[in-house]
Amino acid sequence: MIFEERQIEKNNFSSRAILLFGIVVLSLTAVLVQVFVLQISGYNDYQLAALKNKNYIVPVQALRGEIFDRDGKALIKNEPTFDLITRPNQIADIDSFLDEIQPVIFLSESDRYQYKKLEQEKAFVNKELVLKKDLSEEEIARFNVRGFNFQNAFIAKRYRRMSEYPNIFSHVLGYTSRTEDEFKSMPEIPRSNWRDAELVYAHGLIKGRTGLEEIYEDHLSGSHGKRVYEINSRGKLVQSISLTKPLQGSDLYTNLDIEAQKSAAKFLGNRRGAVVAIDLDSGGINVLYSSPTYSINQLSNGMNEDDFQTLVNNSDKPFFNRALQGRYPPASTIKPAIGMYGLSNNIVNWDFEIKDPGFFTLPETGRVFRGWRRGGHGKVNMHKAFLVSSNTYFYSLAYQADIEELSNHLFSLGFGQKVCFDCYDEDQALVPTPEWKYSVMNAGWVKGDTVNLGIGQGYLLATPMQLANYASLIAKKGRFIEPSIVRLENKTKPLKIWEDDRFDDSDWIKMHQALLGVIESDFGTARSIRDLKEFQVAGKSGTAELVSLDSKEAYQEVRTSELLRDHSIIIAFGPMPNPRYAVSVVIENGESGGAVAGPVAIEVLKSLIND
Amino acid sequence: MIKQLQKIYFDPYLFFSLLLLSTLGLFFLFSASNADFSILLKQFFYVVFGLIIMTLVSQPDPDIYRRTSGLFLIFSFLLLGVTYLFGPEINGAQRWVRVGPFSFQSSELLKLAVPIFLANFLFNKKLPIQRKEIFISLLIILSCFFVVFSQPDLGTAIIIACSGFFVLFLSGLSWSFIGGSFVLLILSSPFIWNILLQPFQRQRIATFFNQDIDPFGASWNIIQSKVAIGSGGFFGKGFREGSQTQLNFLPETETDFIFSVIAEEFGFIGVLFLLSIYLFILLRCFYLALNARDRFCRLVIGGITLTFAANLIINLCMVVGLLPVVGMPLPFISKGGSSLISLFFAFGIIISMSTHKKFLPQ
Repeated sequence: MIFEERQIEKNNFSSRAILLFGIVVLSLTAVLVQVFVLQISGYNDYQLAALKNKNYIVPVQALRGEIFDRDGKALIKNEPTFDLITRPNQIADIDSFLDEIQPVIFLSESDRYQYKKLEQEKAFVNKELVLKKDLSEEEIARFNVRGFNFQNAFIAKRYRRMSEYPNIFSHVLGYTSRTEDEFKSMPEIPRSNWRDAELVYAHGLIKGRTGLEEIYEDHLSGSHGKRVYEINSRGKLVQSISLTKPLQGSDLYTNLDIEAQKSAAKFLGNRRGAVVAIDLDSGGINVLYSSPTYSINQLSNGMNEDDFQTLVNNSDKPFFNRALQGRYPPASTIKPAIGMYGLSNNIVNWDFEIKDPGFFTLPETGRVFRGWRRGGHGKVNMHKAFLVSSNTYFYSLAYQADIEELSNHLFSLGFGQKVCFDCYDEDQALVPTPEWKYSVMNAGWVKGDTVNLGIGQGYLLATPMQLANYASLIAKKGRFIEPSIVRLENKTKPLKIWEDDRFDDSDWIKMHQALLGVIESDFGTARSIRDLKEFQVAGKSGTAELVSLDSKEAYQEVRTSELLRDHSIIIAFGPMPNPRYAVSVVIENGESGGAVAGPVAIEVLKSLIND
Repeated sequence: MIKQLQKIYFDPYLFFSLLLLSTLGLFFLFSASNADFSILLKQFFYVVFGLIIMTLVSQPDPDIYRRTSGLFLIFSFLLLGVTYLFGPEINGAQRWVRVGPFSFQSSELLKLAVPIFLANFLFNKKLPIQRKEIFISLLIILSCFFVVFSQPDLGTAIIIACSGFFVLFLSGLSWSFIGGSFVLLILSSPFIWNILLQPFQRQRIATFFNQDIDPFGASWNIIQSKVAIGSGGFFGKGFREGSQTQLNFLPETETDFIFSVIAEEFGFIGVLFLLSIYLFILLRCFYLALNARDRFCRLVIGGITLTFAANLIINLCMVVGLLPVVGMPLPFISKGGSSLISLFFAFGIIISMSTHKKFLPQ
């Protein structure tokens, strides 16, 4: 090549080499920019993604708070039990493992079946599966001797939710059950990690379902802890990095009284009914009992399906909380309320008298409303009307009432609404109004409906809770405290006040005297319970008719069917003259109020007062 | 003694920067392999061996490489044939040839043989190069490409093709021809996509454009690589502290994705430092290419340097997510003796060509 050609070639080479070198530098710059974008601009996102890769967070279950009675005695405790726990993912042959361990701890066929079912259902990563709950001491001793044979099984302490009084407090305390959303409060833990949770309860993830366990779920449940593990790309745990300890839930201190609740259960026996008792000074609910009951210990810790079905199918409906949800006609126990209405609306005064022939005839239609005593009570004023429970007196009083005003009056006494501060699933029962009747029954309100209301029959329905609340209102002369089961620290509840300009202190005194007479006088309808106690009690009994009948003969026929018999009801408060407790008792199909429900009320008051 | 040393052909810039790079590489590899001392020891041996080879290769006059370039190409090609016939199949690919206790990736030789042969073939031709010469060159490049591609080893095949094209380009391929082949390449892309590419390669390209396709499968590598790099931040997580690396979320940490390890543990600062070393080496090589003693040396130095650059850039672009995933190591850092020794060999040739001066014009 000649010199010029060489020079051209060299220049050509140089320019092309520089061009390519430029491309190389540009490419490296592009890489650097991209690395900058990832490391500097995207740092937060990628940092988080890297943490998400390696951190495996599992929840650590917290113990629930315990529940105590008014004296600090435990009603529900966390009771430790010892469970046999296995690591199924490390056991090569489940069947031969079970065969080997069978002689050490007793395993029933259903235990085996249940275990194998769970083992197959869940792909436990690191995981533990309870083979047998609540080992006996003998089983623990045997396992401790021979446990070295079983590398993949160990005994660990787990808790159960237990009550010393599992049956009498079932409705008020409620039960817990397995839940799927126990750890929802920790959104940073993916749901799929829950299966690796460190559990403290033998029953696993639990949550309050009814009663106080449900109402105070947030208070009782505490806050769960968490443990952070470092995992590798295969999900294998490398090490535990940190532990946030769980915080045990707060305890609940209630106003419940074990002895009084026991009395209620004892004297109601196996009859269907309910008892509610309220401490008048604090509004605290001392007794909240519904019969029949069930065992919360069994329900909270895994009940077998057959036992559960037996309970569900029981015609006495043990799950039904009669104290809060039972709707009963208040019958004669409503009479004080009607009397208050008559007095405060100037329809009657204490001296006003009628002649009671044993029935009341509705002027408009001639329909006859009967009293409970043939022939009547003769001349009756309000005091006597309470004592002898004159239906005629209250029929004629109600006849003069304006239904709208009367309904409002009943609302003001707590009927037709929830009255308890912290009761689970309380029913509001029913105060009838013309609008209600029109919308439900598509019929107009008639005067006879109002007259029936005068003796607590007809459409008016109340729960035992409402009756107890009403009794405490009367006992405290209109200045009472909202009923509540739990005593919350630093929380004084304001006084509830019922007052009316035309119903003054002297009216309250007369009212108390009259209701005292119902039990303590020779003419009172509930005098049969007078001698059961050493203190004086005021009250009003009632007999709620389930079928409307014109004669006693007809009722004798009805009696043959137990479920159509009258309900027995009483409200009472004492000791007089300065009452400390109010109580309501309803016994379904118990008939005569004073004689049947009365003794139960007295026994409950006795155990409260003599405490 | 000093006089004797002076007779040794030696480029201090390249020697020390490569020494620095491969020493750093040992540290990175140690971390990337979860502190595996046997891997470290092996790699250390390769580095020492590579440096010796580089020094030995740079001693003879470059003329010898020119004269033996044909033989070298034929030898490389035969070795490839031997691999094809007798090589063990590892991970579904036949890439290795076994010589006693050592195994060698035979395609590595072609990365050198192709550019040297083409440089020798083209350096004394009249400019601009004629069709016949282009045709012969293309025939050589494409046949080498396809043999390696069918192993299958797309990464190395691409590098071999690049090495040939760079020499062709530098020796004065006309722009119209370049434009024409580019159009042809685009036109034939459906054919390449459907017939030449393996299903897994097609998937890699598909996931490059949409990483949501299969985050736990095909896109896993690139997603985890980005997370590793991104979570390194400015200063990095520290030596052996990268969770993505140490807990195996990042795949292929010792080979293709070792750059992500560096970025995770040493951060942006570390990346900047590493890229500076590479840039320095590239700058030095370009300087040597521009000042080489003759056309042959220019073409060889230019070709090898650009091949090295292409190798580097493709690997970097892949792990940072600018290119689809293709198997390609990070030069001088990734684990593997074949790649390391052939790189040192190549730089030996560059040093030989730049240190032997010729005072008489050819």
